[in-house]
Amino acid sequence: MNEIDWFPLTLSLRVAIIATALVVVIGVALGWLLARKRFFGREALDAVVTLPLVLPPTVLGYYLLVALGRASPVGRAIESLTGQTLVFTWKGAVIAATIGALPLMVKTSRAAIAAVDTNLEDAARTLGQSEWRVFWRVTLPLARRGIVAAGMLAFARALGDFGATLMVAGNIPGRTQTAAIAIYDATQAGRDDYALILVLLLSVATLSIVYATNKLTKLDT
Amino acid sequence: MLSVRITKRVGARSSAEDGFTLDVEFEVPPGVTILFGASGSGKTMTLKSIAGITRPDLGNISINDQILFDSDKRIDIPIRNRGVGYLFQNLALFPHKTALANVEFGMTGAARGERRDRALKMMAALRIEHTANRKPRDISGGEAQRVALARALSCRPRMLLLDEPLSAIDEATKLGIIADLKAINRELLLPIIYVTHSREEAIAIGERVIVYEAGRVVARGEPLAVFGSPVRSSVARLTGVENIFAGIVVSKSEAGGMMTVEITDSNGSCRLDVPFGSEAQGERVKIAVPSGDILLATEEPRSTSARNILRGEVAAIEDKSGGAIVRVTSGVNWSVKVTRQSILDLGLQSGQPVWLAIKTHACYLLDKS
Repeated sequence: MNEIDWFPLTLSLRVAIIATALVVVIGVALGWLLARKRFFGREALDAVVTLPLVLPPTVLGYYLLVALGRASPVGRAIESLTGQTLVFTWKGAVIAATIGALPLMVKTSRAAIAAVDTNLEDAARTLGQSEWRVFWRVTLPLARRGIVAAGMLAFARALGDFGATLMVAGNIPGRTQTAAIAIYDATQAGRDDYALILVLLLSVATLSIVYATNKLTKLDT
Repeated sequence: MLSVRITKRVGARSSAEDGFTLDVEFEVPPGVTILFGASGSGKTMTLKSIAGITRPDLGNISINDQILFDSDKRIDIPIRNRGVGYLFQNLALFPHKTALANVEFGMTGAARGERRDRALKMMAALRIEHTANRKPRDISGGEAQRVALARALSCRPRMLLLDEPLSAIDEATKLGIIADLKAINRELLLPIIYVTHSREEAIAIGERVIVYEAGRVVARGEPLAVFGSPVRSSVARLTGVENIFAGIVVSKSEAGGMMTVEITDSNGSCRLDVPFGSEAQGERVKIAVPSGDILLATEEPRSTSARNILRGEVAAIEDKSGGAIVRVTSGVNWSVKVTRQSILDLGLQSGQPVWLAIKTHACYLLDKS
């Protein structure tokens, strides 16, 4: 076997890190909205956000491909704003991983935020705090444990995304080929040694994340 | 002066029959005003409306002529700008912060050192400096109440709203906290609303009382007047018809486990032996004697353990559901609860001389102020 190609692994890490950051910000915002605000279509929004959890990844990827492609208004808007398209780039992989991992975060942070005593938030308001400060100083710290745990699971999920990423970003070695896709590619091409190395590394990484998450969430009880 | 005039309906969707309507109007001057009523009578809803946590349907709320809420003028000042010190029923201390950080929480404008100084000073005034670095779960119930109070006062509020804050702690701790709060408020002169459904607490703490029933104010005034002469049947039902008197400690006997109090009302005065307490000789006290705890006799009772044998005269007999109330004049006006059968058996009638026998421990000391 020749020199090991580390690119798929570093790409997967980069995609997972960025996707997790996006998932935390968007997911917590949506979780807060669903937990604390009453508005028309709240449960419908929850259902839509949960969909990626149960949809076949290829179906999700198909939707994203259509939504981000040149034919769609969203895709055209992105292209006219940034001068490039997200489809078949590593950024597309980030989008796919983000959408795929979002339900975990939305579900968990909604529950964690709903569990925070609203009296505490009202108390902070009577102490002169703005809504933003109430969120940062009371709601978020008290919901933190659940959110951190969900963030770690979201990272593991993003690290291993296959179907949706393949649909949106494609399988371009050295550009959009993530570790999960490289494993498939290597197995198809008979490079079993390489596939095994990636499989082991991904397994160890995700196993330690799940283990750490369990430890973290158990601290409470 | 805090002035409140609000209406709010909850629960009812269409008909006027079901649901709950809060419809109240009152003013709160500096000092402690008790909001008294059964649970579900709208006390907490009133406090939350004043604080801005819930929004009334109609009305207006103002503090020192600044409007906090006005449905006509469409004014609804957000909670954070209302200047409300609020003590929640469950205290709502931030569990992830130390006692000191809880007290400092609202002082976001000040510099760190100044924040700390002011917070510690407030904690010292409430005798909880020693809890500064502990988390709420590591301090006692009484201390937690004091931390919550210090936190509410730390933002220099313009009023203080206390929602049955002391329901979970014992009487002595409670009265200690109230005494400290009153001492602090001698300088601050804040209007304080204290919500309770305990009559003893209302009398012991309040300078004024507002009685709620089913979302309406049914009585208001000085606690002794409101509870002592229940002008409305609803107040009587809420509070129980009781004998409540203002008095002065005239002598004390620790060995005897009692002290003598001179009680006074509009009719006159008399002396009563009551349980020994921490009150000093000459100190003003409030005494309550439940009307059912008084023994009525047509001849002078001899050799009983009751310390108080009072000679008096029947002023009136009132038939009530479940029994009768005999009004007896003996220095002061007494209400004595007896059965109708007793009235027949004793042949009681107006003008008849009678004796009242009252055990020392049927006399309850209500106040230390």
